[in-house]
Amino acid sequence: MTRMFKAELLKLRRRRTLIAAGLAALAFAVIATVAVLLSAGSAGGGGSQSRGPTLASLAEPGGATEAFSTGASFIGILVLVLFIANFAGEFSQGTFRTLLMRQPRRIGLLAGKMAALLVFVAGTLALAALMSVVASLAFAPTQDISTASWLTLDGLGEAATSYGTALLVVTAWASLGAALAVLVRSAPIALGIGIAWSGPIEHLTMDFWSSAIQWFPGLLLERLADGGSADVSSSHALLVLAVYVSAAAAAAALSFRRRDLTA
Amino acid sequence: MTQQPPTLSLHGLTKRYGRHVAVENLTIEVPAGVVAGFVGPNGAGKTTTMAMLLGLVTPTEGAGTVLGHPLSEPGAYLHRVGALIEGPAFYPGLSGAQNLAVVAAAGGHDAARIAELLELVGLGARGDDRFRGYSMGMKQRLGIAAALLGDPDLLILDEPTNGLDPAGVHEMRQLIGRLADGRRTVFVSSHVLSQLEQICNWLVVIDHGALVFQGLASDLLNRSATTIIAVPQRDSDLPQLERLLNAAGHHSEVAGAELMIAVNGSEPSQLAAEVNRTAHADGIVLVELGPTKTTLEDRYLAMVNGGDR
Repeated sequence: MTRMFKAELLKLRRRRTLIAAGLAALAFAVIATVAVLLSAGSAGGGGSQSRGPTLASLAEPGGATEAFSTGASFIGILVLVLFIANFAGEFSQGTFRTLLMRQPRRIGLLAGKMAALLVFVAGTLALAALMSVVASLAFAPTQDISTASWLTLDGLGEAATSYGTALLVVTAWASLGAALAVLVRSAPIALGIGIAWSGPIEHLTMDFWSSAIQWFPGLLLERLADGGSADVSSSHALLVLAVYVSAAAAAAALSFRRRDLTA
Repeated sequence: MTQQPPTLSLHGLTKRYGRHVAVENLTIEVPAGVVAGFVGPNGAGKTTTMAMLLGLVTPTEGAGTVLGHPLSEPGAYLHRVGALIEGPAFYPGLSGAQNLAVVAAAGGHDAARIAELLELVGLGARGDDRFRGYSMGMKQRLGIAAALLGDPDLLILDEPTNGLDPAGVHEMRQLIGRLADGRRTVFVSSHVLSQLEQICNWLVVIDHGALVFQGLASDLLNRSATTIIAVPQRDSDLPQLERLLNAAGHHSEVAGAELMIAVNGSEPSQLAAEVNRTAHADGIVLVELGPTKTTLEDRYLAMVNGGDR
């Protein structure tokens, strides 16, 4: 596992990859911050009916990472797609074959690769969080938002909570995407299944079966990213998602260990 | 050579995919230190057999050892094996050197050897170029460099000359010859024996998943049937000469304007003399008489096409 972790990090540590990740984090921070601050400004100083943050709520300790939290709730599908493409690509390129001839302990290979990718994602997410705080500090004066409470202990605590929640959500999406790719071994098919399920299927099902929100992974991840909702608590979402992720990881590990690698 | 335990020893190895039998009851042994050609037509089961040796495919039946370790425990021997199977598979966006670094890290090998290996396979000047820009020959050579990362005792190469032009085939053959320094065993497959016969001293021939021949390449050549060709001055004498020789206990048959007489263990020169005497005694004048020896490739083709098992 350690060897595969290092091997995967070698791929991720390339300058091109690091620059792409940095630019993505910067774009995410700027777009999320501008969008959140502008929408809060147009919603008025407070008492808005919308679900989004208000100028008043942005002045609270969690205001510095509000843009990050809001933006992070939209990147789940992107992470799903990236992990499916990465893992399925190892099959289609034949590189799993090359690696398995060097690291025949298959579950260790999968675990090492997944760990390295998650470390990279965690780092990119931290960079995005930091950049969004900086962007928020820079843009806040344009909307007359007080930043006095942002850099307090409470503010840092809120920021850590936002980051932790986003990391959990991203890890869950990543795990489901990787597991789907390993089970299906084809990027187009896995992407089709993943996007169709987490998009239209879950949301359409929710229209005629309201309890879907309590049990479907995509819907639960949306609620978890929002910090829970009136109908689904964060703890319930976490518990059910832990079951989904564990089951998906176990199925993928079993499949990868037992099936022949003929591609 | 035969003092050491065999590098590869397979017993009754079988792989089925549903009703399709890819490898059937394959029992082979490859001594240590040889360059073993693994030959058979496309679809004969060569790649599946190699994939089973490398732990990529699980046998349906049978057992075996690689470097003394059971086939069921690839983790025990793969660090001593270098392989290129089903074509070179690397990350297109990474350079040759970066790809080797990834493979070295995954295998726990010394990355300091990368430059040396790139030089060895003739990619020293192109190591920093991206893999996606490599020609087929360069990709194959990078695959061999990756296989050599752990300085393996056993090198398994699956059709390394595939997709190469004649010059590339020649270069690859020379490279394999250099790698086979007598210390390591090389197990190299091809569907064209002529691409391997110059470098192999051991041959394993399979067809339709089953063993056809295994042993020293020279043994296969010695088993080659030698034929005497006799050409009478008059074509009309061919049936008469055939009848006379067959009546004398030989096996002959007309092929065009020639009569082919199977040697069947006889001394070719003595048989030729006997054919000459028989023809002369019947007033038949021969304008051509002599042995024709089949090549290793002819023998191989006869085996895989003619069911010579």
